[in-house]
Amino acid sequence: MAVLEKPVAAPRARPREQSPFARIAGDFAQSPVAIAGLVVIVVIILLAVTASLIAPQNPYDLAQLDIMDGRLPPGSSSADGLTFWLGTDDQGRDMLSGILYGLRISLIVGAGSALVAGLVGTSLGLTAAYAGGRVEAAIMRLVDLQLSFPAILVALMILAALGKGVVNVMLALVIVEWASYARTARGAALAERAREYIEAAECLALPKWRVVFRHLLPNCLPPLIVIGTIQVARAIALEATLSFLGLGVPITEPSLGLLIANGYQYMLSGKYWISFYPGIALLVTIMAINLVGDQLRDVLNPRLQR
Amino acid sequence: MRFKGVAIGSLLMAAVPVAASNALAQNVTVAVGAAVGSIDPHYYTLTPNTSLDANVFERLVETDAQARPMPGLATSWKLVDDRTWELKLRDASFHDGTPFTAEDVAYTIARVPTVVNSPGSFAIYTRPITGVEIVDAHTIRLSTANVYPLLPTDLAQLFIIPHKLGANPTTEDFNSGKNAIGTGPYRFVSYKPGDRIELERNDGYWGTKPAWQHITYRMITNDAARTAAMLSGDVAMIDQVPTADIARLRADKGVSLWETVSLRIIYLALDQGRDGPTPFVTGPNGEILAKNPLKDLRVRQALSIAINRPAIVQRVMEGAAIPSAQFLPPGSFSYVPGLVPPPTDIAKAKALLAAAGFPNGLKITLHGSNDRYLNDAKIVQAIGQMWTRIGVQTAVETQPWSSYAGHATKLEYSVFLQGWSISSGEASNPLRALVATFDAAKGRGTVNRGRYSNPALDSLIDKAVSTADDGAREALLIQATRMAMDDVAIIPLHNQKNTWATRAGFTYVPRADEETRAYDLRPAN
Repeated sequence: MAVLEKPVAAPRARPREQSPFARIAGDFAQSPVAIAGLVVIVVIILLAVTASLIAPQNPYDLAQLDIMDGRLPPGSSSADGLTFWLGTDDQGRDMLSGILYGLRISLIVGAGSALVAGLVGTSLGLTAAYAGGRVEAAIMRLVDLQLSFPAILVALMILAALGKGVVNVMLALVIVEWASYARTARGAALAERAREYIEAAECLALPKWRVVFRHLLPNCLPPLIVIGTIQVARAIALEATLSFLGLGVPITEPSLGLLIANGYQYMLSGKYWISFYPGIALLVTIMAINLVGDQLRDVLNPRLQR
Repeated sequence: MRFKGVAIGSLLMAAVPVAASNALAQNVTVAVGAAVGSIDPHYYTLTPNTSLDANVFERLVETDAQARPMPGLATSWKLVDDRTWELKLRDASFHDGTPFTAEDVAYTIARVPTVVNSPGSFAIYTRPITGVEIVDAHTIRLSTANVYPLLPTDLAQLFIIPHKLGANPTTEDFNSGKNAIGTGPYRFVSYKPGDRIELERNDGYWGTKPAWQHITYRMITNDAARTAAMLSGDVAMIDQVPTADIARLRADKGVSLWETVSLRIIYLALDQGRDGPTPFVTGPNGEILAKNPLKDLRVRQALSIAINRPAIVQRVMEGAAIPSAQFLPPGSFSYVPGLVPPPTDIAKAKALLAAAGFPNGLKITLHGSNDRYLNDAKIVQAIGQMWTRIGVQTAVETQPWSSYAGHATKLEYSVFLQGWSISSGEASNPLRALVATFDAAKGRGTVNRGRYSNPALDSLIDKAVSTADDGAREALLIQATRMAMDDVAIIPLHNQKNTWATRAGFTYVPRADEETRAYDLRPAN
């Protein structure tokens, strides 16, 4: 059994004692850009997790905001001595605190929706590939239908029906994203399905769920991990878009997208900082995730092995 | 160089760049911020539509920039008995040359209620008229069922069209231009929905000659694009100057700003219709309250005096509003002298809440739109801050108007932001629409979404609207307004200011009713 579960695709050229994880880590480390991306992601996650400890202000507590501190340029001080290093928005919200808390929402929404969509999409994709027949046809036509609509349109319609809120945004993103996982999982599973180890597992009369999730799934993971990282970045960008359009998170608990939207109308009057800094934070986050995702794709794709 | 730029510009764009000193100055482009939906002047009681119509058509009674009635197509009007008005009509002619007569007035009054598929009918202004009698070509008598002193005010909403159009003129024929024949200073040429309307000078206009040969009336609904068009000199004038850009435009020497206090009141409606729990107000820990706290005057007073209106005006509206404690801005007919916003008093607000039985405050979800009124989403957030300081934990929820309006009309909210444009310029309009007891049959309280109800106030309003003497009626309206405000039927926040920007070298007369009229745009000399 243990032998059967080993990835058959493991390259023979590698020394036998090296575990797959160590090999992947080693290959990954060959790109300094990807390492930098990973470091940035770790730093961003740390900042987001500790936001409530390190932020000078709780930007979600209306009692801590004062409208008289609104639209102050970076470096100004409030009436009670707090320094706004990145300025304030129109409600007197400290932009630095807003960005830290906003990162937290963006990451929770991005990672959470990518994870749930991944679970749902992968399960359906594997089921389709393994079951075949009508089940496959039904699931895959649903995927086609889903992918034929622009993601932003679907998400807008869902939010218009459900109303705003972090949970609703995540739900909308899951509904938008699951299809790409399903399609990828099915493609990978169809290739693996014909392999001998699956046949062997079936010959042992193992329950179907066990064949699918213990034998088929681990061997389909590499492309799914790659899709997963890309989808996290995509979900963060999509959440920012939805919030920018006024349909995402509540206005008193802004995410990065909403912070950018708040400052958008002040761009012509020279108050750049309200949109600029959250924009930079969003850009850096998405770029770091994409860099890591690109390198993962190279490392996990056997065809690109040197 | 400059000439070349202008020549290329005019080749590239249909709109010719404007400068007052330029030889091409006979052509002027005006950009408005809200799309004109129809040219039919009786299709929809919507300000963007009537604003355009006011360039082409005229009313019997016109209003000046401050919404006070003045002669329009009627030169004078008087009561001949209790219920009959006699109007003397002006010597004027329509764009096609036919003279304007009493027959056109009768025709218009008959046509208004027959407009097909009207989303907001002008029939509210013709309904009081029960009889029309043509005395001669330039005299007409209109009778009403009851004593109705507001008839001239209602007539100030009705555009006159020629009877030559025949039976059942269609809205489509107005949009195509076939029926778009008025007596106004500019003649309709063409209409591209969502883009522009072209107007030509009416050389036979009875009043002062219009200043421009040709007007391009563009619709630029994106705020930033409209400001950019003004800054680049593409257009001579824009309306609805975004408040965020006012400071920037004021500092620009090439631009002049023209502003006036508008007749639009922005206020909070409070659910007073439910006796039991109201959906979005709970105790401080989220516990359902057996009684609706908004029915308690002290709670309403606390919520009102917690709001720092000058701060909202200064910081959120950037000065483009005046703090208000009643319906109308100062200087209007039936403005209540001395009724100004209460000073913000956090200690007193807390004491009022404690006296009402809520020493630990309340929890409220405040609702608002985010794309309808100037800075609506920011206003509710700012109020959220202010209420949190008196111990009312406030969550703020905003939605696009399209879905928000539906919920508000279904009375699903507890405390919510509303705006109302008092087109008549006097208090009987908001008193009847916003705070009178809801009664669809009588047309009372039609926009009273908090369902405030006070029989004493209702009878005072009834008495006021059937009082013919202006002085006595104004005194009654003042008394009624004061009664509604003392009882905090609604929480008034501010009267918006309407702001237009023109290139330097133009003058404009800013209007309280938000209408953008090319006729009022003139070269400065």
